[in-house]
Amino acid sequence: MLASKLCRFIHTNNSVWQATQKTVLSELRKKTGYTFANCRKALQLHGNDLQKAEQWLTEQAQQLGWMKATKLEGRATGQGLIAVSVRDKHAVLVEVNCETDFVARNKYFQGLVTTVASATMKFASNSVSGTDLVNKVSLDSETLKELPAPDGKTLADHSALIIGSVGENLSLRRALCVSVNDDILITGLSHPVPASPSATLLGKYAAIVAYRAPPKSEQLGKRLCQHIIGMNPAKIGEKGVDEPNPVLDDETTMIYQEYLLDPNITVEQLLTDNQAQVIDFARFETGETLATEKQPLEAVETCG
Amino acid sequence: MRGINNLVRIILSGKSINAQRSYSEKFYTLGNKLLNLSPTFGITSRRFTQNADDTETICNVGTIGHVDHGKTTLTAAITKVLSSENDDSKYVSYGEIDKAPEEKARGITINIAHVGYRTKARRYAHTDCPGHSDFVKNMISGASQMDGAILVVAATDGTMPQTREHLLLAKQVGIKEIVVFVNKADIADMEMLELVEIETRELLTDIGFDGINSPVVYGSALRALQGDMSDFGVPSVRKLLDVVDSYITTPTRDYKSPFILPIDNAFTVPGRGTVVVGTLKQGTLKKNANANLLGFDEEIPTTIGDIQIFKQSVLEAKAGENVGVLIRGIKISRVQTGMLLCAANSLSVSNHYAAQIYLLTKREGGRKKPMQASGYIQPLYSSTWHITCRVDLKLPDGTELLMPGEHAEARLTLMRKMPFLEGQAFTIRENKCTVITGIVTKQLGSIPVINRKLKKVQLSK
Repeated sequence: MLASKLCRFIHTNNSVWQATQKTVLSELRKKTGYTFANCRKALQLHGNDLQKAEQWLTEQAQQLGWMKATKLEGRATGQGLIAVSVRDKHAVLVEVNCETDFVARNKYFQGLVTTVASATMKFASNSVSGTDLVNKVSLDSETLKELPAPDGKTLADHSALIIGSVGENLSLRRALCVSVNDDILITGLSHPVPASPSATLLGKYAAIVAYRAPPKSEQLGKRLCQHIIGMNPAKIGEKGVDEPNPVLDDETTMIYQEYLLDPNITVEQLLTDNQAQVIDFARFETGETLATEKQPLEAVETCG
Repeated sequence: MRGINNLVRIILSGKSINAQRSYSEKFYTLGNKLLNLSPTFGITSRRFTQNADDTETICNVGTIGHVDHGKTTLTAAITKVLSSENDDSKYVSYGEIDKAPEEKARGITINIAHVGYRTKARRYAHTDCPGHSDFVKNMISGASQMDGAILVVAATDGTMPQTREHLLLAKQVGIKEIVVFVNKADIADMEMLELVEIETRELLTDIGFDGINSPVVYGSALRALQGDMSDFGVPSVRKLLDVVDSYITTPTRDYKSPFILPIDNAFTVPGRGTVVVGTLKQGTLKKNANANLLGFDEEIPTTIGDIQIFKQSVLEAKAGENVGVLIRGIKISRVQTGMLLCAANSLSVSNHYAAQIYLLTKREGGRKKPMQASGYIQPLYSSTWHITCRVDLKLPDGTELLMPGEHAEARLTLMRKMPFLEGQAFTIRENKCTVITGIVTKQLGSIPVINRKLKKVQLSK
């Protein structure tokens, strides 16, 4: 009896051992989410010790992310998300790009964009101030990368970590910080509006508007942001100085544009009705070509 | 075979109402739907209909997966393997697929690569889409319906965080069958391959696909492309094609369901009565069958008096055939183009439908301004009819606008009750420009339009 049991044990020993190993690799993968190739390497280096391997992977993640980031550098990133965040008298808009819109829908990437927005917000509350009614500071990609995230690491480090996990090139493209003084109100909105509202809104488009209005006009601010996102005005315009465009559909001066949600009135009328005044606004669209950027020749559209 | 088919088509298209449409090589591979010309009554040759019946089945597949997992390499490898086996498949290199020019389908720009090839079992139209919105646009514009998909996962990486998004999309565009290709198997070990397989099956099940029975093939697209004859080389792609052949089913022409005959034309034959003309969409039409004439608020019962195919009376006609039908007891004045003849009590008409729509961008000839969630009223065009329609969007909570270039679920309310079949395409025009294109997803219960005022219609939430 005993002998036969012992015999069986010896017989199955090999497969039991294999099974253990398999569990270790799959467990490590499930636990950490790192690629199979990396999990395998970690286990090999640490003699199949799950804990040590996991520790090593976490330590290596940053470095692996950077390696991947360097490898993917230069690949076009045309998709992504815009984040808008408003706190007291400060508002920020940031754009982070990725390669496919699948990644833009992924929660890891969305987490990164939120982190970038909160780091930028911290920078805005500490450093952006001035005596003007509205003070604006634009941050380019290089400056953004150096900003510290809430956990102390740079945003570039955070971005590399996500590059390591989603395997796509990402870029922190630009950010804009706006701070207002006195009685100026500031509101931000994204499009589409995320399903679960939070302090930072993510979308394909976003706008912030600085305006003067009677108290309890938050709704007006939101409406103005919607208008800016939808109608893409180039400037606010001033009555008497700017002439309305003869073709209403091509109007880019905000006050002369028809109001998006009620085409029977102009924005000017909306503002008058609400005793409000727009001081400044900003609009970000994912992947839009910026005036400061040079378009590559092959991307220029011609009539031929 | 292909040459003759093309020739017949060119001759027909020259004669038929579609004279101005030219059929490019690319469209040829796009699937039956585009090829189903509906020639006008009386001028078609019998041969065409027989050809239409004989046409080999076409299956539409797409590759989905992470950008670096080898989708394009696999597509190139498939064409390479098949081009060495038959003359109907042409080798398409990686570069050609990767740099596919933007296509225009029904006015929408789609950034997508289409490749055609043929196995022993059937012909394939293969799609390689770079992004989520490209895929959805592709579906809505009807460029190609996806019958199934090949999910490419690299063995070295396993599934990526965004693989979930890839599969959710496949689900959204109506794909039911997925074949998994575990790529880069040559640089992984057996244990990793098995774990990738388990993980992928779990994910498939999680999203609602049949993760247990979905076939999984290990291989290396790169090796196959290089002509390597070891297990992970050419044979793995061969094996993949075999499982795709057997696992992914193609919708077949439906002869069994109650018949549906959309009406293209109607005229009076002196001494006989009213004849309606159209191409049978599904089912078998029999002489003396009871039928309903539907559309423009009407539901008129009738019976089938006589069926003619190419000026010869027949006792029955099958799906795909272009027929003239004598309908009893109905005056020509009651028949309008755009109505539909169906088996008695098999269909009902409604003025309310659910649909998927895409709002064209300014560059595509559409609107510059976004669209509001409700109350948009413009004429809707579909097949041979048009009618005033109100569009209400189903947007995520908090969102009130649809920007040009975006797509959404919508509810259509028509001025009159019209027959609108699931999957039927339509466009909505504003100031002579197509601004919306879409497909019907579901028929909903009719809602009353009092005094023809669509603006005042109350929609239930």
